[in-house]
Amino acid sequence: KRTKRAKKGTKPCSLTDKQMTVSQLGLGYISDEIILFRYCSGKCVAGRRNYDLALAKLKGQRFLTRENMKRARHSPCCRPTEYEEITFLDNHSQYHTIQEVSALKCACV
Amino acid sequence: SVNACNPCLDAAKACNLNAVCKRQRSAYVSACSRSTPITLSSEPCSRKRCHRALRQFFERVQNDLSYPLLFCSCRDKACAERRRQTIVPACSFEEKMKPNCLELRRICRSDALCRSRLADFHMNCQTTPHSITSCPNDNYHGCLVSYVGLIGSDVTPNYVDANHANITISPWCSCRGSGNQETECEAFLRDFRENACLRNAIQAFGYGADAGFLP
Repeated sequence: KRTKRAKKGTKPCSLTDKQMTVSQLGLGYISDEIILFRYCSGKCVAGRRNYDLALAKLKGQRFLTRENMKRARHSPCCRPTEYEEITFLDNHSQYHTIQEVSALKCACV
Repeated sequence: SVNACNPCLDAAKACNLNAVCKRQRSAYVSACSRSTPITLSSEPCSRKRCHRALRQFFERVQNDLSYPLLFCSCRDKACAERRRQTIVPACSFEEKMKPNCLELRRICRSDALCRSRLADFHMNCQTTPHSITSCPNDNYHGCLVSYVGLIGSDVTPNYVDANHANITISPWCSCRGSGNQETECEAFLRDFRENACLRNAIQAFGYGADAGFLP
């Protein structure tokens, strides 16, 4: 029987967005212009490869040192596979285009 | 820093949230910024490419997203400066030298598209004393469409400064060196700088007053 929490967390890896000012991106650009920042989030359970299953088993049986275990991920990560540029006018009347700021496609990698 | 009231910033937001507008804006900003290997190092950009990208922007983006970027109503300098920067004037508008306006008109008339766009502007933005709005048939929208039609042409007009209280529009030219054609040159320039129809149409845009004058 699945708990409520488990059900809630099964949203698959997908593109999400948030409206924010360019300044809020923290990239050092000062602009009050609002852009749509797209990012990837969600679970990657369905995308587990044999690699992941085998690694999980390995970790469970403590074949690896504690240090190595922590760093070896046994499930795919939800990450962008394509990015998008953003263009804006800053508060000093300069246009900027910054590459690869926003996600365009997501995948479990 | 939350900006209290900047309609030009709102217009930028609306464009950023629309895929087509965002892409097309990005395209013209890039065309109007990047210096290509072909151009001399003294030139900041390729004016030709910039003008083409600007024309494409206004052709491909729906008017309710593109017009507010250009005609947003401003109550302060920051807003008016943003409005002035819409067409990337450093590349599309300003030049080292200011040519004579009649010479600019001659260049425009030698190009079929520019000639027809300029004729449209003179027809639709001609100040008329017999209408309430100073515009022919009280058609603000028609005047704004004709104005936008000139952007990306040889007579690309723009706001001359970031004055929010008193709008002055002009192409990048002067009437110095007009010789015996000075009167004609001044008349041409006045159609931009002292055009009550154009000014009213721009000022009315931000307040939604243009809606009633659609043809």
